[in-house]
Amino acid sequence: MIEVLPTNPEKLAERLGEPAWLKEARKGAAAVFEAVPWPSRKTEPWRYAAGRLKNVPFDLPLALPKDRTLSRDALPAVVRKRLEDAELAGFLVFLGPDLVYAELAPELAEKGVVFTSLHRALKTHPELVEANLYKAIPAREKGDANDKIPALAAALWTYGAFVYVPADVEVEKPLAAFFVSEAEELEISRTLILLDDHARLAYAEEHLSESGGQAVHVGMTELILRPGARLVHANVQTKNETSHHLYRQRALLEKDAALKDLAVNLGARFARSEVGSELLGPGADSEMLGVYFGAGEQHHDHYTLQHHVAPHARSDVYYKGVAKDEATIVYQGLIKLEPAAQKTDAYQTNRNLLLSRKARVESVPQLEIAANDVRCSHGSSIAPIDEEQIFYLETRGIPRPSAENLLVAAFLEDVLGRIELKNLARHVARVIEEKVRI
Amino acid sequence: MANRLEIQDLWVSHEGKKILRGVNLTVPLGEVHALMGPNGAGKSTLGKVIAGDPNYQVEKGRILLDGEEITELEPDERARKGLFLAFQYPVEVPGVQVANFLRLALKERLGKEPPITEFYARLKEAIDLLAWDEEVLSRYLNEGFSGGEKKKNEILQLLVLKPRYAILDETDSGLDIDALKTVARGVNSMRGPDFAALVITHYQRLLNYIVPDVVHVMMDGRVVKTGGPELALELEKRGYDWLKEEVAGA
Repeated sequence: MIEVLPTNPEKLAERLGEPAWLKEARKGAAAVFEAVPWPSRKTEPWRYAAGRLKNVPFDLPLALPKDRTLSRDALPAVVRKRLEDAELAGFLVFLGPDLVYAELAPELAEKGVVFTSLHRALKTHPELVEANLYKAIPAREKGDANDKIPALAAALWTYGAFVYVPADVEVEKPLAAFFVSEAEELEISRTLILLDDHARLAYAEEHLSESGGQAVHVGMTELILRPGARLVHANVQTKNETSHHLYRQRALLEKDAALKDLAVNLGARFARSEVGSELLGPGADSEMLGVYFGAGEQHHDHYTLQHHVAPHARSDVYYKGVAKDEATIVYQGLIKLEPAAQKTDAYQTNRNLLLSRKARVESVPQLEIAANDVRCSHGSSIAPIDEEQIFYLETRGIPRPSAENLLVAAFLEDVLGRIELKNLARHVARVIEEKVRI
Repeated sequence: MANRLEIQDLWVSHEGKKILRGVNLTVPLGEVHALMGPNGAGKSTLGKVIAGDPNYQVEKGRILLDGEEITELEPDERARKGLFLAFQYPVEVPGVQVANFLRLALKERLGKEPPITEFYARLKEAIDLLAWDEEVLSRYLNEGFSGGEKKKNEILQLLVLKPRYAILDETDSGLDIDALKTVARGVNSMRGPDFAALVITHYQRLLNYIVPDVVHVMMDGRVVKTGGPELALELEKRGYDWLKEEVAGA
């Protein structure tokens, strides 16, 4: 853990050619970073993950863009493989902090859809970025330890994606951004997705590794959904098992906006994923799915937040995953209802399957309800694989590893089946199948 | 010896309790044997142990399939050698579709992916024989099945996987007469020189429809009497007490 920022944020802003307001924002974030402590075990959302932070090499050099570009054929193999079975209307590829390749269907650009790097958007759409950046994930929320990493990220991000879909525009095929770690660096990214009134978009961000090594990635994703906007969003992490991945996502949902979110953690040594939705307008709807599979000595730590500010909104968290070998899985989730959030429907479910006696799972769903006319439920379970089912399948000639695979697939079937991006769901299922077998 | 399932002096315990005390039994290919006996005699235990249930400890004795000892093999290895157990209480496996499950099992049984047309031909034939609806193939394995449907599903698997040796553990329990006839039709269709079955049952009723070549009676963890089909009828008429006395007096 570091106590002083490795780079001066104002100099960074100058180097990256940023406007004055952003330089000021970075400076302010740096002050927050220096003022608040690192999360400890007493920081509620970090109860089980704080201990892992000391093993994260935050002192690696900050990844700075080198303005590289690549032809489509020269993209990293991991990305080319993913492109084979993804039908996309456009995609960005980041190699480390460099946007090395970008593609967008011309008809979308004609309709005013913007899909580029955040730094490019600062030049082409400065007012959109200024009005929305740091809105969902500010550097300072409560001024406590939970702000430490967002403050670091706000002060020192060096790359990321920007998406804007104008009012009433529907993007039919999905867009995707591939973030490929390649060096032992501290990579800090930021993504801003902005959907104007009644806009529609499906978007996937994938975090992958090109090679081994202990890269640290800190990623912040801000989702802003104006009234009636509908976003399908996925965040899929399949990085190498020596890397560290700290991700925070926050969605702001206005009246009648709908988010269908998916968080997938399959890779990394330590992956922390915080996914939150703020239901700010009546009729807002946030479905948040999660799928994870921890093996070896992986630690996957998830935190979800369903924050109901407005009445008549709905949210549903459904996180499911598997722990194998000596993996550690954590799920913590909070449903928080403000006094005005009457007629809320909020649900939270976490289910875990254990494939080994040495794997550990902690599951802590929580409710904090200040309204009285609401429907809320939460539930969690942790269960070992059913030996009677295994025996039954074995008596039909199916060897134990295949039987386990079948039961893992069966366990995840309902959550995978709810994923709107079918190609992505198949990809996730394939990666999991490999992880069961190894 | 080849072409038979042989149990030699089998002693088995479960959670420290002795259940089988020296079972000897031989079922040659081409024959159907019934295994009868009062509750607690160890009939179902014998079926599970032959299939390789890890909850039971074999303390002594051997199980041979076609002359090869399988006592220490994993359940899936036994199955791939042609053994099949129709469960008394089939297990529910939510999330696994019957068709996908059968295809995987058949692939393991054949040692290669079955051609899709052959696979569906097998399924169709089995479903028609059981007068069932193809809709069952897309349901999850035994989930929400009635007791009768679960038993029928065991026979469906038997028909698709075509094992050489089948153990049917109280497949008749909980079935009405129509379902019983359907199940019997399925089993009888398998009869022939390359198939043997050990039909475990408490009652004579099933044996009216699956007529056995040989009847064995188990008591207190051993086979105490072996005879022809008439033995089952005698047990139906007189119960087990006379046999208990006969065994005690011997």
